[in-house]
Amino acid sequence: MARFEFRLPDIGEGLAEAEVARWLVATGDRVTEDQPVVEMMTDKATVELPSPGAGVVVEQRVAEGDVVKTGAVLYVIETDAQIAAGGGSTHAEEPSRSAPATASVSENAGVLAPPAVRKLARELGVDLAAVKGTGPGGRISAEDVKGHTAAAPAAPATAAGGRRVRLRGVQKRMAETMTLSARTIPHVTGFHELDAGAFADLVTRLRRDAESKGARFPFDTLLVRAAAIALRRHPIFNSSLDDERGEIVMHEDVNVGVATATPDGLIVPVVKHADTLDLNALAAAVDRVTLAAREGKVSVSDVQGGTFTISNTGAWRGGLGTSLIRPPEAAIVAFGRIEEKAVVRDGNVVARPVMPMSVTFDHRMIDGEQGLSFALTLRSLIEKPEQLGA
Amino acid sequence: MVAGDQSDPADVLILGAGPGGYVAALRAAQLGRSVTLVERSGRVGGVCLNEGCIPSKHVARFAAAKSTAEKLAASGMPSLSGLPDMAAYQKSRAGAVGTLVKGVTSLLEAAGVKVVTGSARFVGRTRVCVEIGEESVRYFDFKDVVIATGSSALTHETMPYDGDRVVEPSRAFEWKEVPADLLVVGSDYIALEIAVAYARLGSRVTLASRERLLPDFDQDLSAAAQRGAKTAGVNVVTSSDLKSVGPAGARVVVSAGRRANLDELDLQLAGLTPSGGMLHVDAQLRIDRHVFAIGDVTDGLPLAHRAMMQGRVAGDILGGKTAAFDSRAIPRIVFAEPEIAAAGLTEAEAHAADVEVTIGRFPLAALGRAVIESSTSGFAKLLFAKDGGTLLGAHLAGPRSTELIAEMVLAIEMGATAEDLALTVHAHPTFAESLMEAAEVSLGRAIHVRGGPKR
Repeated sequence: MARFEFRLPDIGEGLAEAEVARWLVATGDRVTEDQPVVEMMTDKATVELPSPGAGVVVEQRVAEGDVVKTGAVLYVIETDAQIAAGGGSTHAEEPSRSAPATASVSENAGVLAPPAVRKLARELGVDLAAVKGTGPGGRISAEDVKGHTAAAPAAPATAAGGRRVRLRGVQKRMAETMTLSARTIPHVTGFHELDAGAFADLVTRLRRDAESKGARFPFDTLLVRAAAIALRRHPIFNSSLDDERGEIVMHEDVNVGVATATPDGLIVPVVKHADTLDLNALAAAVDRVTLAAREGKVSVSDVQGGTFTISNTGAWRGGLGTSLIRPPEAAIVAFGRIEEKAVVRDGNVVARPVMPMSVTFDHRMIDGEQGLSFALTLRSLIEKPEQLGA
Repeated sequence: MVAGDQSDPADVLILGAGPGGYVAALRAAQLGRSVTLVERSGRVGGVCLNEGCIPSKHVARFAAAKSTAEKLAASGMPSLSGLPDMAAYQKSRAGAVGTLVKGVTSLLEAAGVKVVTGSARFVGRTRVCVEIGEESVRYFDFKDVVIATGSSALTHETMPYDGDRVVEPSRAFEWKEVPADLLVVGSDYIALEIAVAYARLGSRVTLASRERLLPDFDQDLSAAAQRGAKTAGVNVVTSSDLKSVGPAGARVVVSAGRRANLDELDLQLAGLTPSGGMLHVDAQLRIDRHVFAIGDVTDGLPLAHRAMMQGRVAGDILGGKTAAFDSRAIPRIVFAEPEIAAAGLTEAEAHAADVEVTIGRFPLAALGRAVIESSTSGFAKLLFAKDGGTLLGAHLAGPRSTELIAEMVLAIEMGATAEDLALTVHAHPTFAESLMEAAEVSLGRAIHVRGGPKR
């Protein structure tokens, strides 16, 4: 018997803290080696932490919802055998990669189903333990598995035979945030078409200058700059609604999130104090956080504290659509791809580079006039980019 | 080594071209991945093909044929005399191995798998260094890596290998003469197979083990193995004092188990920590999102067919398919006297796990085929769940057991019951009938043994 303090290991990718999502066992419960004990959530993923050995969990030191730092004691286990220092702790210089999650070789071990049926169940995401077998002795057939999928109330519209993938990590986070957004925020979106000729030229010039000095200049830099200036002029767009207290919180800082597509899904890293940074510093900050997001290396602090979001769908050759606000923010602006379009200037039809823009705001805090006013400020800043101070 | 050394991208990098690694490579390549396979020995197929399964079974089959011919002499077969020409035999063994290596090589070629010869070690989380010969190194930056470096023979603490008189098992399959005296140390199937094969080929063999033979098999199979080895002429000694057994000057083969080949991989540089000398993987054979491990480096039986199934599953997952290694029974086979095979729970394991079982045991003495072949000492012992009757374990001793076990593994996977087996027609006269008969025995209605149900 030995007492072992299980500390939050470095769960990888530079995260210094994580939130206790769920206890999977209670104090006094007996656990086997590698049995998941607690589920930790970061802004990027949910990780189940397995027990370092067989024994009894005698004390939980943190509660669900607590945000704890790497190295903090999560629980104490009385183990049957001595556990080497380093097991589940942070002593190793190079952090150990996290142990695999719960799935064990003996999954569904007690279920009567031949290999091909188990394969089918895996592909359909069906838990065989929940399927009623109609064969002799409760044997589960392929039809039983398919029937279970069809009957499952959670997926009424899913065609049988499709693949099911568990929602987790970044994707799960996105699902939660966007559901909250769509359910609670009355969204209003206005569409605008901006003449982006001068803006595009300016970006090209600044990028060339930067590259000649060996630096990088992301396209989004000037969009963040434009947003920061507009937010200073229209502080209601840089605010949050505190629903419970019936108050609007006007934020001091202007922290602009940049929606970034990553292999894991959508991540919105935040450029802090975007209104105070000079152009080089802003370019470097935009470059750093978006690159980190794409490489899956953002820290928790990089994705927290946003007060406003921009989404540049043009970067992915996208057109324009509506966006969902990221609660508790008040608005989001999306920019589409710059394309030559026929526009009328002084009575003549001419080809001009046009960038579509949509401004989406929370109608609980912001009315239509304020929304239009903010959009016009942005439009002016982008169409006459000399105002951007670049 | 300098940071920034030139490196090659590797979509899928597989370390080790044994039965796990080459199968994973072929499957991943079939599914469109670009695969680089690193093998230090310069020959694909691993220990199994080059110095383990294939050579040992080749020797076992040669020895068994000699033994069969000798037995038939009593029935009028022209008799054999003297020792076999092992030099000639070795040519045919090497030929068989060569054919198979060539086969795997050409499959890899056809699949577009790049094979690199060298010793691999991690130098980072996504980078592997391969030492090619003395001077040359190559670096690979992988998207996904599969660790399939296999295992090596463990050294016996009191009888270390000296490469000459005391050797590891694989060397025994290369001998160009039959040793007059042979001491085999060990209790596992490897030791037993070598002891029986050389006894049949003409050596005076002592098999020394500290515990019962085949210690992790069902007790009844251990007993059958012990009796059979004696029948084949092996002097079986249970002793912990190895110095006192076997004649002086005898050749010595030691089988002391196997250990995973992980030490030289610098796993810590990839942020990986083995525990208990093994890698622990999930059902998708992952240690980490992009790090897979299969075969003898993973926790479980060090058997080629387990590695091959894991290789297929890992290859499927690398190819984007949904798959899991969830086999319910891994067969274990022994080419000794008699052939022995097992799958699923042993009687002791069932007892320890408080699983109530009904046992059906059918002796080969009651089987036509066994009488034809004068091999009536074996049996089929099947364990069925008392509740529901599904097959939980099969333990076979007798000719062709190593083939018959396939039916038992399938039955376990399918959740077949004693009734299913009993009601399935098995061809007559074959050893396979013993399985149907054992199922009948468990149901209390045997035809070919006494003690069936009475009215």
